[in-house]
Amino acid sequence: MSKIIASAAIRGAHKIAKRAEESLNNAIQQKGEAQEVGFPDTAYFMPIALALLGVKVKTLGDFVPVLEKAKSMLPPEPAEHVWLPYLGNTLDAGIATILFEEIIEAVKYITGPNPVDGIWLGATDDVILRMQGIKLVDGSMPGFAACVGAMPTNAEAVKLANELRERNILVFMFGETNGKSMAEQLAEEGVQMGWDSYLVPYGKDITAASYALGFAARSAMTFGGIAPGGLKEAHDILLYNKNRVFAFVLALGEVDDEKYATAAGAINYGFPVIADTDIPQILPTGICSYEHVVSNVTHDKMVETAIEVRGVKIKITKINVPVPYGPAFEGERIRKEQMFVEFGGQKSTAFEYLRMRDLDDVENGKIELIGPDIDKMPEGSAQPLGIVIDVAGRKMQQDFEPVLERQVHHMINGAEGAWHMGQRDMNWLRISKSAKDKGFNVKHFGEILLAKLIDDFPAIVDKVQVTLYTDEKAMADLMEEARQAFIHRDERVAGLTDESVDTFYSCTLCQSFAPNHVCIISPQRLGLCGAYNWLDAKAAFEINPAGANQPITKGDTIDERLGQWTGVNEVVVQKSNQSVQNISAYSIMIDPETSCGCFECIVAILPVANGVMIVNREHSGMTPTGMKFSTLAGSVGGGAQTPGFLGVGRQYITSEKFISAEGGFKRIVWMPKELKDSLESQLKKRGESIGIPDFFDKIADETVGTTEDEVLAFMQKVGHPALEMESILEFSV
Amino acid sequence: MEVKETYNGTIREVTLGVGDKAVVVGGETALSFYTFEGVMPRKPVIAFDVYDEEPADWPAPVVEPYKDVLGDPVKWALKCQNEYGADMICLQLVSTNPTGTNRGAEEAAQTVKAVADAIDIPMIVYGTANVEKDTEVLAKAAEAAQGKNVLMGPIEEDNYKTIAAAALGFQQAGATHSPIDVNMAKQLNILATQLGLNADRIIIDPTTGALGYGLEYVYSVMERLRLAALTQNDSMTQMPIINTIGKEVWKAKEVKVSTEEEPAWGDAETRGIIWEAMTAIALLMAGSDILVMRHPKAVELTRDFMALMA
Amino acid sequence: MALTGIDIFKLLPKTNCQECGVPTCLAFAMKLAAGQAELSSCPHLSDDAKAALGEASAPPIRLVTMGSGDDAFKAGGELVMFRHDKTFFNPCGYALLIDDTSGASEIDGKLKQVNESHFVRVEQDLKADMVAVKCSSGKPETFVEIIEKVKAATSLPLILMSDNPEVIHAGMAVNGEAPLIYGANKDNYEKMADLAKTHKTALAVISDNGIDGLNDLVPKIEALGVKDLVLDPGYRNPKETLQSLVYMRRGALVKKIKAFGYPTIAFPVEETSDEMMETLLAGLYTCKYGSIIVVGNLKPQYALPLYVLRQNIYTDPQRPMQVKQGIYPIGTPNENSPVLVTTNFSLTYFIVTGEVEGSRVPAWMLIQDVEGLSVMTAWAAGKFVPEKIAPFIKGSGIEEKVKHRKLVIPGYLSQMSGELDDELEGWKVEVGPREAADLPAFLKAWSA
Ligand code: SF4
Ligand code: SF4
Repeated sequence: MSKIIASAAIRGAHKIAKRAEESLNNAIQQKGEAQEVGFPDTAYFMPIALALLGVKVKTLGDFVPVLEKAKSMLPPEPAEHVWLPYLGNTLDAGIATILFEEIIEAVKYITGPNPVDGIWLGATDDVILRMQGIKLVDGSMPGFAACVGAMPTNAEAVKLANELRERNILVFMFGETNGKSMAEQLAEEGVQMGWDSYLVPYGKDITAASYALGFAARSAMTFGGIAPGGLKEAHDILLYNKNRVFAFVLALGEVDDEKYATAAGAINYGFPVIADTDIPQILPTGICSYEHVVSNVTHDKMVETAIEVRGVKIKITKINVPVPYGPAFEGERIRKEQMFVEFGGQKSTAFEYLRMRDLDDVENGKIELIGPDIDKMPEGSAQPLGIVIDVAGRKMQQDFEPVLERQVHHMINGAEGAWHMGQRDMNWLRISKSAKDKGFNVKHFGEILLAKLIDDFPAIVDKVQVTLYTDEKAMADLMEEARQAFIHRDERVAGLTDESVDTFYSCTLCQSFAPNHVCIISPQRLGLCGAYNWLDAKAAFEINPAGANQPITKGDTIDERLGQWTGVNEVVVQKSNQSVQNISAYSIMIDPETSCGCFECIVAILPVANGVMIVNREHSGMTPTGMKFSTLAGSVGGGAQTPGFLGVGRQYITSEKFISAEGGFKRIVWMPKELKDSLESQLKKRGESIGIPDFFDKIADETVGTTEDEVLAFMQKVGHPALEMESILEFSV
Repeated sequence: MEVKETYNGTIREVTLGVGDKAVVVGGETALSFYTFEGVMPRKPVIAFDVYDEEPADWPAPVVEPYKDVLGDPVKWALKCQNEYGADMICLQLVSTNPTGTNRGAEEAAQTVKAVADAIDIPMIVYGTANVEKDTEVLAKAAEAAQGKNVLMGPIEEDNYKTIAAAALGFQQAGATHSPIDVNMAKQLNILATQLGLNADRIIIDPTTGALGYGLEYVYSVMERLRLAALTQNDSMTQMPIINTIGKEVWKAKEVKVSTEEEPAWGDAETRGIIWEAMTAIALLMAGSDILVMRHPKAVELTRDFMALMA
Repeated sequence: MALTGIDIFKLLPKTNCQECGVPTCLAFAMKLAAGQAELSSCPHLSDDAKAALGEASAPPIRLVTMGSGDDAFKAGGELVMFRHDKTFFNPCGYALLIDDTSGASEIDGKLKQVNESHFVRVEQDLKADMVAVKCSSGKPETFVEIIEKVKAATSLPLILMSDNPEVIHAGMAVNGEAPLIYGANKDNYEKMADLAKTHKTALAVISDNGIDGLNDLVPKIEALGVKDLVLDPGYRNPKETLQSLVYMRRGALVKKIKAFGYPTIAFPVEETSDEMMETLLAGLYTCKYGSIIVVGNLKPQYALPLYVLRQNIYTDPQRPMQVKQGIYPIGTPNENSPVLVTTNFSLTYFIVTGEVEGSRVPAWMLIQDVEGLSVMTAWAAGKFVPEKIAPFIKGSGIEEKVKHRKLVIPGYLSQMSGELDDELEGWKVEVGPREAADLPAFLKAWSA
């Protein structure tokens, strides 16, 4: 804590204490201790005294102990040179200050001058508090800004007010700079003020700050469900504000002692102070979520700095594009005749790349186009396009890059007249003629991505900046960077092993129809629907901590070969509603995982062939088990453990952990041709890695036969390794 | 011979309304009406549907009892309270539906206030399940019903923040509504409680299907919620349950068709009454605590049924 | 725990000879495990295997068949306490009670109810299952006379009710079928058991003090060699009846108490004199473990809701009800009416057609067979996708019925609109609302 600030705040607190004492004594002299005091239409008495001290002030006399208590909190005025700065002292001074300020304002209601006067609104009644509080809680109003003092010019005041309002941030105004307050500046410019216009002029006196802080205290009591009482409750109320009310103080103009003292009060609520003057900064975090005092911020950066410092989330309600946007347009196709321009799709160079950056390196909301826009492109042509999305967030992780990047597809397709396919450097986009006629241009891709990323992923995305390249030369370096990143990501995924992590994820999305089914998702085994791998589940949990994907701490190893861990079993018992006791991650015979019904493929043992066959959902023909996919699905699905049968995602087939307990990959003896072909390169690679390079050719398919005998004959012919393995039917640990 | 089940959880008790006529719901320690192995401290309550505008599509059997009060929600609510002995009123703000009359939130709030002031039994205020419109309407309604401790709904995943905040701000209770899914019901309760709404201010609306129109789905979801609540002591499923039966039943083809149109289906009014009461008793057995119903005779039958079972 | 398919497979001959009617022993094992095949279908089982499998595959609640042919009624065979755990397998049966002291016209009226309360819904026959003839007269001749009258009017299996073995004996003489004798109590059980054995009928066991009495009496009757029993705890108030039914089901399935391993019978007709209440109590026992439910009236306005409840409760949660594929005209649509397509999941069908009907806009509904999945699930399973929808539309015959070529698809499938547009030549695909409730507004604004 800066010594200058501390000293000034404590000095200011003493000054305000004096004012409060004088005005209270004066009022008691005039009206007597029994004189009732109260703000209009509120059940919270003097809200600050109530919240922080648990005192219900009803009469002037009730104020006396409040005043005494506040005075007792006042640290002595620091002597110039010996005193060591101490945060606690300053904060106490802040608390005392706002209690004094509340007394001063309350007394005004009795002896005058009336706080409600001209543009000034004075205390807020409960109905307004609740209606506004709802917006704070539901996030439609991200927070409030307490503007203290005035801007250098009226025009700048209007600009600041509008910048805040545009973001739905409520603007509280009080205090003055050189005899002027921001509210007066707005009034002079004819700006309409009031709760509906998000502009709330509380009072010209700095003591009117107590209305704003009283508002915050009441909203904690109302929406936090905290009944005021003792110290603990006071602490809870302050904490609620820190965690839930995204407010900040904008100190405009010169900061005098009283303003310092009041700011110290606000810091107790966790509200940081952003100043336009060169006052000492207090950057290390403690009370506030982030920095306490940030100074010397230029006027045009003030709002952005405040938002960033306080972690305020702004919701984008409307996507700024000239065409309709919504899920109804997601499936729309743009045919060649309808297309104005296209990008990628093997016709031109294109890529999309989302990368994580530091908070400081991303300018939120910036969309830049490097190269020509749509009006410079010939109709029907294919043009180069690089989409680089920079994302920053306090909770963002590099692992989430691919998860977010995959969203580009569905985000862009939501716009009428825009179409997207593919991913990475194999993407393909089109803009239709009619969209172009409506004014859709390349930059609008950025608008969409920006708005959707911030809106759909508030838990992990704080800032987004999009750069679009239509100049092939300019994008060459980034394209290379992206390609390196893609390789790196693939390696990362390939390198992720079940042993390398201690957290798996559960998925219970399918319990709506298979009440006891839970998927255990590990790095080497994705969900059986194929839609959720470990990274997806991890990101899904960050995005929605109450959702269907929950982390599982593996716990102690029960059986390494089967893949059984204490933590996993505990979760399975609980999430399967006690119907499943143990789960093996790597076995088809002993405690296999349950199947809900969404599996991409079913693995089933072929006892005579001593191996397994795999059939994919699309295959409608007979299989060597004597059952078609649909029959198999009937006996495997529903969330029950069915030894000998397993529902799996395609990618699991080539995982090192594919039924590794029973010998794994080498057990595969039959697959439909279509499935085999679609996985050809992966299967071949996996065959090589286990030292049987021609394994791919040893897997039978329906052209070989659909009975176990035919499969067996084939296996004998090609020398299938499963023939040499221990009996799968008798497999035991 | 030990055939009793032991349960280790309890359904939360939620108080709705104020004063003498306030009702408490919940408190079961066993499956509903399994009084032989647990406590069911009170019978479920029945709320009467009251629309804030004249209903366009109600079939004759349910128009008849209310024909003198349709279109006047205050009189209508009073009739249910005074003549039919309703435990509660469920004021449905159908007029706010954007695809219908599309009345504004202010106007709807006036109706809420008028009805709330006129009756002394507790009130449920329901929007039209239009996510955006309900947000506005229910926030205003919460304000209008200040001090009445009403139950507001439906709170959906897409608007829970605003509506739960309104319930919090104006000290009302909230009905969390999810699409016939145990986990989504739980998840919404988690979200609402994280926002600050106390668990004992929440009622679960699991989405009701009428007899023949998805009843089996809600029946099973409710059984699953109850089993999780009672046998696994799963706190986020331990809220009482509301079923909006009237609205679902009286649009079923089998209750709309008149005796003349389909003589083989028998007397239309009786058929409708049984349809509604049958839906009610199936859902009572599955764990319902608040039934929102329409036909006075169906209500009477349902009450008689509960009396027999108590 | 029940044996898994693999456990069973290990005991089979593993020859894949196919004589059981399925291609492999493994497939047969899976069917056995699911209770979809009879052990006896495999002629090659070793005696050891038979013993091991027979014991394990004996059902915890016996499946008792009454009557024969098309009208045979099966009760019991249940495996779970809650339908979501698997399904309730054998729908409960409703029996209409006819008292032999009633006047002729009353009896005629009841027989008419039995025959007229017959509906078809979602391609299922909804109807009464049995007729209970009760001897209140105490006179065998009267009883026989009424039985003959009933048999002349219906072929449903009968329940013959009397506690007098002589009366039952007389009744059995005129009744060729294998019905249910109701029944054996602690005083007459030996004679009743004899009758049941001689006539190869099922026998109801009536307790005078709930499940304790049954626990006593059932083993005695079993010892006399009667296999097909139906249990009546004997109470005539719903509270205690419910308790007994719950305890019996749980006793049989969870606590493995053999005496309770039989279907049950309940008598709403004797628990209330009010027709409406009787129907509701029948509903209660439909939900809660009644196998045969005896009622005093089946007028259609009561029977229809009751039957639909049974249909709901006994639907397999994992195999939803389905409607037939085809064109369904709603109202009286013409060549300019809208055309909507959705899946044949019965709930989807009901809700969508309900809203279309409610809109009063005549329309053509095209219902595609996707094995009863909902729109989203069918789409995810690849059954309701452009390549499948397009041929269905083309082959449905709708092109002869409408002049326009606009197809409304469910709002949740907007992502496939373009692809379907391509597949479905000559048609323009329009995305409908996501929720059925918004259909009326959509249809009112629709134009060809
Ligand atoms: S199949 Fe997919 S969606 Fe379903 S539970 Fe498993 S991972 Fe989740
Ligand atoms: S009849 Fe028996 S041996 Fe032959 S295939 Fe069937 S189960 Fe196997």
